[in-house]
Amino acid sequence: MSIFDELQQAIIDGKAPVAKEVTERALGEGVRPAELFPNAIVPAMNEVGRRMRDCEFFIPEVLIAARAARAATDILRPLLVGDEEVRSAGTVVCGTVKGDLHDIGKNIVAMMLESAGFQIVDLGVDVPPEKVVAAVREHGANVVAMSALLTTTMVNMKAVIDALAAAGLRDQVKVMVGGAPVTESWAQSIGADGYGKDASAAVETARSLVAAA
Amino acid sequence: MNGRERVIAMLQGQPPDHLPVMPITMMFASDLIGARYLDYATDFRVLAEAQMRVAEGFQFDYVSVISDPGCEAADLGASIKFFPDQPPAIDEENALLADKSKLSALEIPDPAGGGRMANRVKGARLLKEQSHGEKIVEGWIEGPCAEAADLRGINALMMDFFDDPEFIAGLFTFVLEMEVAFAKAQVDAGAELIGIGDAAASLVGPKIYQEFVWPFEKKMVDRVHALGASVRLHICGNTRQILDGIGRLGCDIVDLDWPAPVAEARAAMGPGQALLGNLDPVRDLRNGTPESVYAAAAECHRQAGPRFIVGAGCEVVRDTPPANLAALVRYGMEHQA
Repeated sequence: MSIFDELQQAIIDGKAPVAKEVTERALGEGVRPAELFPNAIVPAMNEVGRRMRDCEFFIPEVLIAARAARAATDILRPLLVGDEEVRSAGTVVCGTVKGDLHDIGKNIVAMMLESAGFQIVDLGVDVPPEKVVAAVREHGANVVAMSALLTTTMVNMKAVIDALAAAGLRDQVKVMVGGAPVTESWAQSIGADGYGKDASAAVETARSLVAAA
Repeated sequence: MNGRERVIAMLQGQPPDHLPVMPITMMFASDLIGARYLDYATDFRVLAEAQMRVAEGFQFDYVSVISDPGCEAADLGASIKFFPDQPPAIDEENALLADKSKLSALEIPDPAGGGRMANRVKGARLLKEQSHGEKIVEGWIEGPCAEAADLRGINALMMDFFDDPEFIAGLFTFVLEMEVAFAKAQVDAGAELIGIGDAAASLVGPKIYQEFVWPFEKKMVDRVHALGASVRLHICGNTRQILDGIGRLGCDIVDLDWPAPVAEARAAMGPGQALLGNLDPVRDLRNGTPESVYAAAAECHRQAGPRFIVGAGCEVVRDTPPANLAALVRYGMEHQA
């Protein structure tokens, strides 16, 4: 088993200490940090996504896999500065809208986007529109991804879009929305650019939004 | 038959005069009397007035004290965020058991102790008085997985299943004892049916559900039965992977959320299980028309067969057109089991 395969397996199995150890060993053996992303971390998380889609993995398995991936990326990210081989697919500001504290869905989407090569700025839960505006401005985000689990809070997605428009940022950033009560027609009705039915769909939506920008 | 008799007939396997109608309403009921949801969730008099109004106005067969998942956690001292007009929510960033070692020091709150649990118990008592035996009164407790998630933080709990099974067992044991005590107080106050909400159980998949969650749900169902009450289990979300286990819990009513087709539940649970549901509250019930709602209810009934109770998959959304909810009820009133 190659060291890439070892890391990939550790992530899929959700074994964070192993992922850390393999990553450190790989670096010690002269593997360049940027090589570990396309050869181990990204394919591992793609496999996790596939297993989730096919109902082989559920939230606990996905979360421990994400934690294992993070154990590797926490070591690697500081070493990547200036490394041209790792290109971002885009920057996504994500969060659960104001008044809503549900974050499992948002976390899974953020993790899947990150594994797909996006830079993630996760604003957490109960996020007011002005915080989104500030983050878009600070990070030059390509996409805003907002989540809501309640019909009472999904209206705040519109408030985010309005706030981006008021700040003069609406033309610079695409907005995608998702969450249990959110539908494609709702997304359209509030002027969002995209809708993700689930985490996998969200990745495709983000990719297409960035490509179309 | 009045509503209470209708529900009891269904639960006892007798033919009711028509299908029982038991959709969950909380914010919809609160709005109906012009109350702020904060008041609905925290003042049993407001809740009782709204429940009686919605049950009588729409001819439901039951009234319920369900309001939000935070009653027990609040009485344990958890950080809860309150909003003026939407449900209180658990503040996961400051979860009560962020430090697992605090579990050993937790004590079961007194359900009569004057906190949010006591408020719910008073609600059950008032609804029992006000419904005059015409509606069945439903109490409400959290299931083991949902309450554990509220106390520990749902993200942490999901990983605890792998990291610390011993902690899970201890936490679920604590939750079981607390919830049974809470159920008992509500039964003593007049609840004849106890709803168990175990939302987080739909997230864990069949293996963890069977190994960790199911045994405690089973104990909870059995212990509520031992109190003399019937059990309605509601698990929010997609339960398709755990339908078989749910069917083996011995619940009097399995209240099915919309992602799981009724036909799958029927196939997994057999012909004897009373199934409730399961229109999509947003796409079918709120966004539909009276005609489409009626047709959707008919389809649920067709898939369920005779052991069927009319309802939505989850809470009736607050801005649901009343005519749509009336159409749902009308389906029940116009059809026999």
